[in-house]
Amino acid sequence: MYRLRFHGRGGQGARVASKVLGTAAFLDGYYAQDFPLYGAERRGAPVAASTRISEEPIMERGVIPEPDIVIVMDETLLQDPLTMPVSGLKQGGIVLINTAHSPAEAKAEYKITAQVLTLDITKIGLDMLGMPILSTLAGGVAARIVGLSEESLKDAVKKVLSEIITDRKLLDKNVAAALYCFNAITPAKIEIKLKTIGTTKKKSTVISLPFEHAAVSSPAINATGNTPLRMTGNWRVFRPVWNYDSCTRCMICVARCPDGCILVNEDDYPYTDYDNCKGCLICIEECPTNSLGKVREVHA
Amino acid sequence: MRKEMLTGNASAAWGVRLAEVDYIPVYPITPQTEIIETLARWISDGVMDSRFVTMDSEHSMLTAAGSASATGARAFTATSSQGLLYGFEMLYAVAGWRVPLVMVNVSRGLSSPITLEPDHNDVLAARDTGFLQIHCETCQEVLDSILMAYRLAEDKRVLLPIIVNLDGFYLSFTREPVEVPDVERVRNFLPLYQPKHAFFKASQPMAQSAAVLGGSSYSYFKYQMHMASQNALAVYKEVCEEFETRFGRNYDTFEGYMLEDADYVLVMTNSFSTLGKAAVNNARERGINAGLLRLRLVRPFPVADLKAAITGKRAVAVIDQNISIGKGGILHSEIASCLYNEKHRPLLLSFIAGLGGKNISPDEFEFIFNKMIVGVDTGEVETTQLLYTEKEWQEMGRLKGMAGKG
Repeated sequence: MYRLRFHGRGGQGARVASKVLGTAAFLDGYYAQDFPLYGAERRGAPVAASTRISEEPIMERGVIPEPDIVIVMDETLLQDPLTMPVSGLKQGGIVLINTAHSPAEAKAEYKITAQVLTLDITKIGLDMLGMPILSTLAGGVAARIVGLSEESLKDAVKKVLSEIITDRKLLDKNVAAALYCFNAITPAKIEIKLKTIGTTKKKSTVISLPFEHAAVSSPAINATGNTPLRMTGNWRVFRPVWNYDSCTRCMICVARCPDGCILVNEDDYPYTDYDNCKGCLICIEECPTNSLGKVREVHA
Repeated sequence: MRKEMLTGNASAAWGVRLAEVDYIPVYPITPQTEIIETLARWISDGVMDSRFVTMDSEHSMLTAAGSASATGARAFTATSSQGLLYGFEMLYAVAGWRVPLVMVNVSRGLSSPITLEPDHNDVLAARDTGFLQIHCETCQEVLDSILMAYRLAEDKRVLLPIIVNLDGFYLSFTREPVEVPDVERVRNFLPLYQPKHAFFKASQPMAQSAAVLGGSSYSYFKYQMHMASQNALAVYKEVCEEFETRFGRNYDTFEGYMLEDADYVLVMTNSFSTLGKAAVNNARERGINAGLLRLRLVRPFPVADLKAAITGKRAVAVIDQNISIGKGGILHSEIASCLYNEKHRPLLLSFIAGLGGKNISPDEFEFIFNKMIVGVDTGEVETTQLLYTEKEWQEMGRLKGMAGKG
């Protein structure tokens, strides 16, 4: 059995990626299972989705604590202490990272010991779909890694997308992009023989839970609030940048920023708090003098 | 100390007044409303110093009561039947906050069809919520149980909310002599609540009821509630002992009536137990070694006490004034589960009676004792049976005729 985990952010398409892969495996005649797991249902929040593919009936359910393959659709998650996308990856497993880095750079940057494949899926999405939606593309990459057929991938993309979009042209673009990603990962790049990936079963010991007084065991938090410490700006795809030559300091961007991330400097010019700006680009839409532009964020 | 003729509802109100409760959010429902009307009058007259707020629903009422409790106030509220169900999700929420709210439920059968008279499907629907449950037979017991409930709920080994239950009409509107203790003596028994874990202090903010993602932390919190509820068994005994010392009335987790030497035992709860006791007297006159066990503490379920009281008996008939549709009596299942591993377990019979306040006649009790005796002789026990008389069946026929179902 192959167990895959997709890690992305709400809106990127991790869930759809897991469905595309599950459907493609199903069409290829395998037993398959796919499911999402998410907490806060909002754009930008970490999302995990999983797919199991097997020649035998699948006798597992729920989270995959020890995946064979991890697809990281947003590389900023690699530094998120709550997500830890690579955690539990089996000895000899594979990590595919959506990044502009080379595999060697990514391995070093994120201190990963497993085999790392990289592909700038975001760039492919922008080039071929015109937007940073990665669902079918990540599904295509995963289909190649586990060795599914190109034909089933194509049918799976059509089947899954026709349930959620009606734009025929966009659907065709997705098929093309998924196939492009499928072929971008040549089998020669995959050093690991998937079937040789072993299991690393850890022993669990059942304990008797000790009683603790309600001062401890009520679901209350006495510690001081720490929300401001959590920077929310690291998952931007584009960063807004100013051209102060044409900026009239009208402050419309300051008023329109939904997250209060536009501040004003000593000369009364607006600037972005990049630690928390999520890159929604509403400021660009709202600027009456077109003094804002966007630059793709590339983590380097 | 004085004795007065009081209804069950007035006794409940007296319990709340003597407990010197800080905050009372309310919503009316028959047959409970008299409790909150009495409290409102006392507060209006200035003889009681509490904040009384009328809410828009039982859901809001329970939310307000639990939240007030989480700020460290001593809170009280009351409801019944449909009202309890309307606030139901908040029962779980408030219990999860681990706050010592005391609530009175005046039992009334659940729709449909609608009724105003008592059975225990309302309060037993709340049995898995985390609220402890004390069920009362007399008006005196209602007053006393509210005082005991605050002591028990506020104990740091417990810190769970409590429902004190009484039957609608049969207690709620029934007057009988009740001893009302002096407030000074109550204060000695029930001192001011001093919250240690959930309180409001501007300089010390806390987030109540944090969200958890994942079953490990969720399981921890839920099982801690279960262990706190289990702790309440021992704490309850301490509270009872002290209550008896101070007020001279004894309440254990259950009350045994001619139980010790009995061979044939009825198990009942709440006000109908009085009818069961009379039936035990009748049976004894006929030479049957009868007895009765009235379960008082329903949550936590006093497994060890029940085992000790029942094992070795020849037969036990559980009279459930409730029905779990598709299974039978709720308390029958619970008692069966705690006897299963006992070597000398009695024959266990199951009867449904008193639904919607239906009377249980002496003949019906006699029927039960006969079934127990025959069961012991033959070793065979029938499945759950509804107590229903031929006369009632005929009356039902007349009603069906009126409804055009002749």
